[in-house]
Amino acid sequence: MTAAATVGLTGITKKYHGTTALDAIDLSFQPGITGLLGPNGAGKTTLLRIIATVLAPDTGNVRLLGRTPATPDELAQVRRRLGYQPQEMGFPRAFTGFGFVDYMAVLKEWTARTPRHDEVRRVLDLVDLGDVATKRVRALSGGQRRRVALAQAMLGDPDLMLLDEPTTGVDPEQRVALRHVLSRAGERSTVLLSTHQTEDVAALCDRVVVLDQGRIRFDGAVQDLVATAAGRVWLADAPDPAARASWRTGTGKHRNVGQAAPPGSERTEPTLEDAYLLLLGDRARTTEVAA
Amino acid sequence: MTTTVERTQASPTRTATLRTLASLEARRYARHPLFLIGVALLVWVMVSIAKGLADGTGDAQILAVADGTTVPAFFLGVLGVFVGHRLTRSMARSGEAVEASPADGVIRTAALCLACLVPGAVAMVWLAWNYVAMAVWPGPYSAVISSTNHAAMLSAGVVYAVGGPLFGVMVGRWTRFPGAGLVAAVVLVGWTLLSTFGLLMPASRVGTLVHLNAPFATWVSSDSSTQEVSWVAGGSPVWYLVYVTLLCGVAASAAMLHEAWGAQRSRLVRVWAILVMLALVSLALAAASDPTRIPLLPG
Repeated sequence: MTAAATVGLTGITKKYHGTTALDAIDLSFQPGITGLLGPNGAGKTTLLRIIATVLAPDTGNVRLLGRTPATPDELAQVRRRLGYQPQEMGFPRAFTGFGFVDYMAVLKEWTARTPRHDEVRRVLDLVDLGDVATKRVRALSGGQRRRVALAQAMLGDPDLMLLDEPTTGVDPEQRVALRHVLSRAGERSTVLLSTHQTEDVAALCDRVVVLDQGRIRFDGAVQDLVATAAGRVWLADAPDPAARASWRTGTGKHRNVGQAAPPGSERTEPTLEDAYLLLLGDRARTTEVAA
Repeated sequence: MTTTVERTQASPTRTATLRTLASLEARRYARHPLFLIGVALLVWVMVSIAKGLADGTGDAQILAVADGTTVPAFFLGVLGVFVGHRLTRSMARSGEAVEASPADGVIRTAALCLACLVPGAVAMVWLAWNYVAMAVWPGPYSAVISSTNHAAMLSAGVVYAVGGPLFGVMVGRWTRFPGAGLVAAVVLVGWTLLSTFGLLMPASRVGTLVHLNAPFATWVSSDSSTQEVSWVAGGSPVWYLVYVTLLCGVAASAAMLHEAWGAQRSRLVRVWAILVMLALVSLALAAASDPTRIPLLPG
């Protein structure tokens, strides 16, 4: 962990009823956008919850924004500079979008009314909800609710933003718009983006961490992960039964993601998704061999 | 999509956050449908009693000491249990985002407790209306109850209006069960009904203790067999008022205790324990007072 790291995790372990969610994780994050990838149950949400200070690890040290959040005062200092969008977020029935974000702004200690309302309008505009801000949250679509949740996480331009699947249920146009907003945020803040959308990670992140079964499977630049799939993705007229994944594309060709392209096959550029599938496929094979 | 507003947040204090949050919670309370129903019923009762007294069919003494506390106890206190509970649980839907904010659980709970002053303010209006009504339609109660005791009896209605919601907040903090508000309201009403056994017992300090330990006690009763005589129960209304006020403090501190940790928790535990002790002493003093029942009028 470098001295300038916004987040420093050392030996973080967390278990739920005997199941290990995180196993001796060492990670540090600095300003920029980092994508967290991994299958369901990999430990991504647990990791974000620990960094968000809403869950304590069983063992290990957490340093956030230069502080150890072990006392109420230190915790408050960290939380003042933190924005968190949980994976599952409900809303009180009576709140409008504006009302909810306004309430969250008060919890984030925006006590003066005029600047608070300006800030609430700003973040709602950022996520393109300015026009529906006075609608009850329950009347909004799933994608709009996700954006309300994102808006509250962006209040006050926090130094550390933790976003758990922020683009789930958001339409493609809005996703692109949100990418613009998040990329701007990543210029000054440390943004951790947990998602299943590999295209979001490819489009936004300079670094990717792949978690699987509570362990780090990959930690590095996005292009480095993509490079691991070079020469292992090819197009063919038929699916390859030995491939890790294979599907028929819109052109009628089958895209095969496997160990190595067979001689004479039509190789194609790998994507982050290909590399991710191969990484997890390698793990599955390793597990099989070990068994 | 990219409007930029300079962040102008002043350095925050816990007091400023509490004040702002309490004002938001008070607005949420004031808009809650159950509270509005309670207020509407209260107004309806006010108008009904005034009409009854004006046309001579009403009972000025009931106005003075019975309905004076029962009406706010039920319409603001018991319904307030639900409101307090619902407001407390409503933000649980957004749990982790709320938890990750710098306003800790103690401040959030304290703000909810302060919002419970909203029904108290309405009960104050009810109390003032009672005094106006008593001035317009005077009854003989002033001859048998001292003005201090009378004021204490009526003021208890204001405390009931605050205490019910506080109880709801406390239950909301300590339980996750969605129906806990209903259970809490049933417990509160059941406790009050059980305490009326004290009124069935012969006038004694034990009977007074059984009667007054309830958080929503009423002072006027009538002979259980003949219904011929109405009377004011024994005990000290002033100490009882102190007792129920301290119970409010017990509920509020217990609610905040759930969210506290470290030194703050230790402090709150001490405050809670002191309030419990003082409440018990007040109850004992209320019950130790003269248990003689004061007849009001033949029925």
